Amino acid sequence: MSDLQKTQRRERKTSKVPSEASHGVRGKEAAGRTKDSISTVSYIDELAHHDDNARLTATMENTYRMGPDRRIPIPAVTDILKDVLTSYLQEEKYEVEWSQKMTKTISEVIRARVKDLMIPRYKIVILVHIGQLTGQSMQVSSRCLWDASNDTFASYSFKNSSLFGLATVHAVYFE
Amino acid sequence: MLGSHIGGTIMDEYQTEEETAFVVEEVSKIIKESVEAAIGGNAYQHSRVNQWSTSVVEQSLSQLSKLGKPFKYIVTCIIMQKNGAGLQTACTCFWDNSTDGSCTVRWENKSMYCIVSVFGLAI
Repeated sequence: MSDLQKTQRRERKTSKVPSEASHGVRGKEAAGRTKDSISTVSYIDELAHHDDNARLTATMENTYRMGPDRRIPIPAVTDILKDVLTSYLQEEKYEVEWSQKMTKTISEVIRARVKDLMIPRYKIVILVHIGQLTGQSMQVSSRCLWDASNDTFASYSFKNSSLFGLATVHAVYFE
Repeated sequence: MLGSHIGGTIMDEYQTEEETAFVVEEVSKIIKESVEAAIGGNAYQHSRVNQWSTSVVEQSLSQLSKLGKPFKYIVTCIIMQKNGAGLQTACTCFWDNSTDGSCTVRWENKSMYCIVSVFGLAI
């Protein structure tokens, strides 16, 4: 009985620790437990009148376009990522609160600069990871279900002596 | 031309609101199942992590496409060894708030963390 209580207490403590992942928007969380793993789910909580918004969504008319007029210039986007990551992270050391703010700032700066490229009809998703280098191993991978002829992505990773930064931009064409 | 325009609007009414919204509970359930199935009771092994993250992502994506919703999906998976190191992740999106959504599932066991993010963008 006491063992069970101990494991339950341990699980409750560790569920607050994971990965210090932060999201740019306030999120809701729900925790679940199985016997030796813990999972939490978080998502962006849309505004309370989400249902009304959904019904009022504009139904778009056909554009009769076969494809985008201008595609995303991948080298330009990679340059933006390289520029932003290097300038923000060059001589910095990993600290918890600083990097929490930095991930949000960097992702917003990248979003602003990609929007400045003024490529119409593209939706943008930007992911930024900043982590501490302590000899651990990690793998980041992504897959997408999209239209390969119109949609694309770009990514760049930066490393210095105490931290690494990884930025990925996905661009999806809105038909 | 008038004929084809009318055809377009009639077609749009066939899908109800429930079928065209990004439902977080459904998506997170799918993700949790894929993660459990791929790396469930395993300890972190550098040689297998590539294969694990591929299978997590591919399984999630195939289950999501079976939902049959008019969405394009982006699924990202991070698997990290537990070493006391810190990791911060942020994402920002330029999209249509009323139709698009995202969901992140954080999963951990004794030796590793797994973070899966799904972004659904309406067509």
